[in-house]
Amino acid sequence: MADTAIKEPKAAEVDPITLEVVRNGLLSTVIEMTENLVRTAYSPIAAEVKDFSLCLLDANGDVIMQTPHAAPGFVADLDKTIKTGLDLYGRDGLEEGDVIVANNSELAGQHLNNVAIYTPVFVGGEIVAFAAVRSHWIDVGGAVSGSMSSKSKDIFAEGIQIPTMKVYSAGKPVAEVHRLIETNSRFPDLVLGDMRAQISACRLGERRFGEMVRKYGLDAVKSCINRISDDAETVARNAISAIPDGVYEASCHLDTDGVNLDQPVPLHVKLIIEGSEMTIDFSGMSPQVEGPCNSRAADTIARLGFKFITAPGTPVTSGAFRNLKIVCPEGTIVSADWRAPMGWWGMTINSTIDLMLRALFPALPDGVTAGHTDNIGAGAVSGVDPRNGKMYQTLVPFTGAWGATSQQDGLSAVVSLAQGDVRITPVELREAMFPIHIEQFSLRPDSGGPGRNRGGLGAIMVTKALAKCNYDSRYERTFDPPWGLAGGKPGKITETYMTHEGSDEKIDLPLTAHQFVFEKGDTEHLYGAGGGGFGNPFERPVEKVQDDVVKEYVSLEQARESYGVVLDPDTLEVNAAETEALRKKLMDSAAG
Amino acid sequence: MAKLVGVDIGGTFTDLLSIDDSGEVSFAKARSTPGDLTSGIRSCIEQAEIPLSDVKTLLHGSTVVINAVLERKGAKTALLTTEGFRDVLEIGRTNRPENYNLFFQKPEPFVPRELRFEVTERIGPDGGVIKPLDTGALEDMARKLKDAGVEALAICFLHAYANSDHEEEARNALQALLPDMYITTSSEVAREWREFERFSTAAINAFVGPKVNDYIDDFEGWCHDSGFDGNLYLMRSNGGVMSTPLGRKIPVTMVESGPVAGMIGAGQLGEAMGKPLVVGFDMGGTTAKASLIEDGFPRIVETYYVNGYANGHPLQVPTIEVIEVGTGGGSIAALDQTSSLKIGPRSAGSVPGPVCTGNGGTEPTVTDANALLGRLNPTDYLAGQMTLDLAEAERVMEERIAKPLGLDATKAASGILTIANSNMALAVRGITLEKGVDPRDATLVAFGGGGPLHACSVARSIGISTVIVPQMPACFSALGMLLADMRHDLVQTCPHKLNEEAIDSINESLAELEAEGRERLTESGASDDEIECLFYLDLCYEGQQWTLPTPIEASRLDKVALKAVRERFDELYEGRFGHSFSDLAVNVVNVRVVAVAKRARPSFPPVPARTEGKLSPTYRKVYFDELGFVDCAIYQRNDLFAGDELEGPAIIEEEVCTTLLNKGDRATVDPSGAIIISVGQERSNGHG
Repeated sequence: MADTAIKEPKAAEVDPITLEVVRNGLLSTVIEMTENLVRTAYSPIAAEVKDFSLCLLDANGDVIMQTPHAAPGFVADLDKTIKTGLDLYGRDGLEEGDVIVANNSELAGQHLNNVAIYTPVFVGGEIVAFAAVRSHWIDVGGAVSGSMSSKSKDIFAEGIQIPTMKVYSAGKPVAEVHRLIETNSRFPDLVLGDMRAQISACRLGERRFGEMVRKYGLDAVKSCINRISDDAETVARNAISAIPDGVYEASCHLDTDGVNLDQPVPLHVKLIIEGSEMTIDFSGMSPQVEGPCNSRAADTIARLGFKFITAPGTPVTSGAFRNLKIVCPEGTIVSADWRAPMGWWGMTINSTIDLMLRALFPALPDGVTAGHTDNIGAGAVSGVDPRNGKMYQTLVPFTGAWGATSQQDGLSAVVSLAQGDVRITPVELREAMFPIHIEQFSLRPDSGGPGRNRGGLGAIMVTKALAKCNYDSRYERTFDPPWGLAGGKPGKITETYMTHEGSDEKIDLPLTAHQFVFEKGDTEHLYGAGGGGFGNPFERPVEKVQDDVVKEYVSLEQARESYGVVLDPDTLEVNAAETEALRKKLMDSAAG
Repeated sequence: MAKLVGVDIGGTFTDLLSIDDSGEVSFAKARSTPGDLTSGIRSCIEQAEIPLSDVKTLLHGSTVVINAVLERKGAKTALLTTEGFRDVLEIGRTNRPENYNLFFQKPEPFVPRELRFEVTERIGPDGGVIKPLDTGALEDMARKLKDAGVEALAICFLHAYANSDHEEEARNALQALLPDMYITTSSEVAREWREFERFSTAAINAFVGPKVNDYIDDFEGWCHDSGFDGNLYLMRSNGGVMSTPLGRKIPVTMVESGPVAGMIGAGQLGEAMGKPLVVGFDMGGTTAKASLIEDGFPRIVETYYVNGYANGHPLQVPTIEVIEVGTGGGSIAALDQTSSLKIGPRSAGSVPGPVCTGNGGTEPTVTDANALLGRLNPTDYLAGQMTLDLAEAERVMEERIAKPLGLDATKAASGILTIANSNMALAVRGITLEKGVDPRDATLVAFGGGGPLHACSVARSIGISTVIVPQMPACFSALGMLLADMRHDLVQTCPHKLNEEAIDSINESLAELEAEGRERLTESGASDDEIECLFYLDLCYEGQQWTLPTPIEASRLDKVALKAVRERFDELYEGRFGHSFSDLAVNVVNVRVVAVAKRARPSFPPVPARTEGKLSPTYRKVYFDELGFVDCAIYQRNDLFAGDELEGPAIIEEEVCTTLLNKGDRATVDPSGAIIISVGQERSNGHG
């Protein structure tokens, strides 16, 4: 039965003025925490790349407000971590000044690099809230530098697990835990530095929240928080109610699980819209796989996709997901056994969210995007820098492309759905910090899927090793390209090869490389996938195709073959007669 | 009488402030004409009846650059860049700042792809040449640029911050072939790493360059024809001024002028009054702005996003850090889909303006809320230019806000101000506490049309105990310009470990930057003994990315100074972030020299002490949260004498500006004319 009732905004149980003051105060607090983290973080992945998230949670571990300025992939996923800490220690077992650290896979369900730090907020001797920061640590041990092996077969190969431990107790550092962390990372200074930055951000959150409670009173603040959650629910329900009831499904494949290179991994989502409620059913997802694309992140994935659709403009609170039901049996690729490898969990997240958008296309033709590049990180090299004898690794986010929509072309050269405000490290910094030389970083012409609206262009990145090193990579969309919608065509697939110094010979690179040895001068040539197109490419206005050719986003050949537009090769003027004839011919043959 | 004149072109009005040797001050205001910016200046000069031949120094801040950028009306601009890096401007940092927005669009580069050209050359991160510049290709390049009708060119090569030879070589060759082309190199506008940010700066400099040159031509021509033969200076984003020849070369450093000048004024005022820690607070029609000012000068940020972070373009131009919130007098109050009351960022602007001004506004604004609470003079608004329509303001407030929330119009109006004040207070808190400064030690200097009306409430809610309302708060930006020094912030990326081995190399960079700063200043007419240089290293702990500019007490590093700067860095870091790591290695990222030529400060006439009579306020009903409507004393600022003391609740009215004192606030009139307010403390109503 469809529940069509939209929840009316509740009567003003809270003073509407205090509500806004508290709401803005909470938002400003998480933003200040974010800025504090960015400025004090150690490793580039936190400071430049912003691969982290943070939030305030209530005394029960439900999210009050999450920062809008960090990686969206971590949406509302800290609650379970805090609830587990509460269960473990009990309220009486937590003291003011405690700092807790956790990253174990059973709890966090994601790769071990993502380490949560949180602190209880005390007012008048009572826990009133928690401040939490999850951040990608550059290395937590395991088989490869960076802890993200594309070939690992269990979680133990991916690094150390910290199963909820106090790293500060009542304000005093717990030396054993510090030593444990220090000993288990290839970059202990960076990791401990990032941990300090996380702690510092939590402390700021504690102070701010405490001040607010002292100023307005705990009851008033709690009522405001409840109302903020109710408001988020109202917004989410309104959005879902606007989608026609029905069952929407879609499937695709991951290229590989990383270990069994010839076996694509089937993904399937089923979305059920009933009134103001949405159910996301992951029962059709591939069972857990041998390689590291697993996670226990079904909830996170579902919430992230849901957020894109329901309330893109408002900060995340737990109330935003009350009308979301998640169905997911144990043992799938997104609900794997805790011992399963999870290093490249992000590949599954992106593809699954992309699938949710694809599934909803019939219901929301103007509200979704065509297929994306769905990659997370570019290939990275690691080793010992001969200039200073220090270990290094060069992981940066993958420069991908987005699918087109019914209203606009896809975005070129952007991070994936799950990455948001994640930023690539500048070429000038990478070359200064690491023994690499980047020969090219530019858009990849013809990679965008043709359509009435064109898919975004992927990027070409050519990186030469200046010292012998190990190369690791995990690329997606190397077989199945990012899909088009409404008659739009797919984008180009991701391609990569290597060359040796002084030679043009293209040598195949494994698509999931594990500690592949690069000699000095070996070069990776990466051609990132383009986004899918939207709508019939023969309906793309001729002058737009012409402009694409002028800008060399599209070649003369692609203009002719995919868009049916004929241009003079010298002047780039449109040959109207030939174009009309060619478009007619191509449309007829497509129809026939 | 030799005069000093400051002219600030703002979005709506052009303000002019003039002071002569005897301390005689005059002021004029005219509407800004977007298409013809100098016309506002001309009408101001005519209005103030100032013969330009009497003017010794003219200081000018203009929106010409920011308008050209925001409206994308600049030159047809091309880019010449390192082979393999044609798309740096379009790729950007690959981020999507609006996390969950499937329809986000990246800001469009100022150079379209067909005008982005590559040339073979390559410099390495250490400044070494990896591939020489293919000078043979430049002739063909010049032809292409000419054929395409390009008016401006940005030459941007990788690692040019470390070695600018190739950029210079390419510029010289192309300029010789294209003498009329406006050419900018990336190393000329910024010598810091991060290619996207530096290229973006250079591209925008080129994009606005020809237009700014025309503007300066016009302005100088008009000045010349009017008999002006004094010095003309342009206001810069770094809070200093520069000569016009430099303005022609690096116009991008003029993006922010008006708001920055106000902050300079606030700093000078604070310093003159012995307040080392000041928050400048400027509230206008659409936004409120705040800056933290320490020892007379506001903080500088290294990267500024014109048009905001999410949708804007980065500029690697040292800019006074001004944070902005969307709450000005014209900000609209409205209920969202969950019936929550939101203030701004939409603004009614000056057209249609607030409901009470009767120009067709249909949504309640912050100004309407102030009017309904009796805080604005209903019969003498904007110096008597209009009468306020309170009945209509009340009707709209009732209908749009009060009824749906179950409040009366008065409570709704006071609620709007509470929320607006709280938003502004959060912004001010953000720039103080976050940076390790306790707001209780700070003094708030309030200006702009709305600043003095809200300052005491904002100050109270974050514990600032002193508010200063300067003379002429509504045209304080023009006044700030009169107080600005000639200033160049020069930065060079110079990555090193901070240790004795780096001393020579750092000193070399310091010397180069100092020489350049002195040269720029002497070229602009400063004499050597007027020039002061400040030296900084941008430091971070090894492995970190964010740097803190740390002052070096000497002009060059030696072993002693090295140790001192290291200790100073730990101290600054501790102050800002609450912890420091004295056992960790420290890296130098940038070397920074600030070259300043102090200009003589004009002295403003003091306000005499009261010799006869006493304060005689009028009264009208004004609403205060804890008191309701009360008979509130209304003072005219013109009637105040030095030493007069006023107690809140009270209102002080002057031309186009109103100061509000809450209960518990006490104001004294300083002999300088400024009003110094001791702010009452907020009572906590919470538990614990």
